[in-house]
Amino acid sequence: MTSSATPSSLIEFRDVHKAFGAKRILQGLTMEVGRQEVFFIIGTSGVGKSVTIKHLIGLLRVDQGEIHFDGERIDNLSEKHFYPVRKRIGMVFQHATLFDSMSLRENVALPLRKHQGLGTKEALAKSDELLERVHMGNFAHSSPATLSDGMKKRAAIARTLAMEPQVVLFDEPTTGLDPVNARRIDRLIRELSDDLGVTSIVVSHDLPSIFGIADRITFIYQGKAYKSGTRQDFEQSGDPIVRQFISGNSHGPMETPGF
Amino acid sequence: MSVHTRIEGLGARAIAASHAGARLFVIGAKSLRGVFDRDYPKGEVARQMYVVGNKSLLFIAITMGFLGMVMVIQSGHQLNRVTGDLSQLGPQFLKLFIQEFAPTITALMLSTRVGAGIAAEVGSMKVTEQIDALRLSGITPTSYLIAPRLLACLSMGSILTVIAIVIAFTAGGISAWSVFGLNPTAFFDSSMVRTYDIVIGSVKALSYSLAIPIISGFCGLEARGGSEGVGTATTSAVIGSSFAVLLLDFMISGIGLMVFGGGV
Ligand SMILES: Nc1ncnc2c1ncn2[C@@H]1O[C@H](COP(=O)(O)OP(=O)(O)OP(=O)(O)O)[C@@H](O)[C@H]1O
Ligand SMILES: [Mg+2]
Repeated sequence: MTSSATPSSLIEFRDVHKAFGAKRILQGLTMEVGRQEVFFIIGTSGVGKSVTIKHLIGLLRVDQGEIHFDGERIDNLSEKHFYPVRKRIGMVFQHATLFDSMSLRENVALPLRKHQGLGTKEALAKSDELLERVHMGNFAHSSPATLSDGMKKRAAIARTLAMEPQVVLFDEPTTGLDPVNARRIDRLIRELSDDLGVTSIVVSHDLPSIFGIADRITFIYQGKAYKSGTRQDFEQSGDPIVRQFISGNSHGPMETPGF
Repeated sequence: MSVHTRIEGLGARAIAASHAGARLFVIGAKSLRGVFDRDYPKGEVARQMYVVGNKSLLFIAITMGFLGMVMVIQSGHQLNRVTGDLSQLGPQFLKLFIQEFAPTITALMLSTRVGAGIAAEVGSMKVTEQIDALRLSGITPTSYLIAPRLLACLSMGSILTVIAIVIAFTAGGISAWSVFGLNPTAFFDSSMVRTYDIVIGSVKALSYSLAIPIISGFCGLEARGGSEGVGTATTSAVIGSSFAVLLLDFMISGIGLMVFGGGV
């Protein structure tokens, strides 16, 4: 891997450690994400993938190590100073986190009113546009409770895009979706990067997604970036642990707590 | 397990408990500030007031009605055996209910009904990452979720306490009349009630109504790990708020006695 000074890298984790009580999750994670990349973070359940990306928006704080975003150190920012970072890095959560008490367009309009100070009318108009972009225009007035998971996911993506973020974090965007809806989400992610220049960090264990749209991949194992590289690097890797993950084999050298 | 590791374990637990105490304090302070920020949806306080009232009115009415009856019949029998003078039954009963029973028992019921509800609601928002999503939308969860519930509990807590007094006193008066033939004008006599009783009762009702939503909201915000985490949060909320009510009861009564000599 190239040195950490590469001008193309937008996000850098440097030797990040994170524990919850006695549970040590990240133990020296180092990785770099380039501009406009579709960057995948893969690994087994509970390894700390969600924990990793939550550090980028200040929902969790490092115990040790540094995180840099666009040339600026962000891990030590106060809650108040994290505010501008959160305008630039959006997140689509693992569980579709729309508010059932509001319609889809109101859900999408919420950050527009809160963060960008738009009036209700303007915000709703922009919200309709965004829902159109994720092919959910027909459902603008529906309540999230009445929609399928794939639809909710797309609406949640629209809400995140409302902020016009430079980076979007996707936490398992295709988990629980049927293959058709999953590939639609994949295409959407690819389009964001190719058409709008968005950098995407995608947490996933969906192999078709990974090998379909990833520019680069980091495999987290035992709190560290065990391997980073392109799709080809992973496909051709002879490493037994990487191979075990990719082939989904329950037998192999990988140590999973509890087994 | 060696003595050494046991002591270490205790130490670690004490540290964890003090950290949790600090977080509870921060959440309490932020929720109170949220009351003034008024950064919650329109009509939310009214909606929450309805939830609190709807959940507990019948429950409180029945309990307080029975409690009023039982207490009057029990103490009436005792008095009959000792002095046979029931003239003080109503006035003393009213004093005791205003100062102690109505606010405390109402609050214990709110802890089980409303506290559990708040913890379940906030907790499930926490485990489904809706709280995180709120924060990213530029919204402070304490202002948005806990502050309106706090206001609802404060107002409904007071209203329900007054209702509790009225119901218990009425049920007590009817029992005294039907069991002992006591003249209602002798029972429904508020001459023994002093300002002190009303102040203590109000301070209790207000402190309980602050403690319950803050503790329950805190338990909800600390929830993690799916529906199991929500269950744990709900249980802790009920235990935590009930315990807080009893502790506050003890403290406020104690301070009242020490500082004002019980109002005499
Ligand atoms: N706020 C928290 N407090 C305590 N423990 C936490 C917290 N957040 C996460 N954990 C723990 O950290 C570990 C890693 O969690 P994380 O959610 O990052 O896993 P993951 O890799 O995203 O797995 P999955 O694929 O199941 O989503 C888990 O054991 C989890 O219980
Ligand atoms: Mg996860």
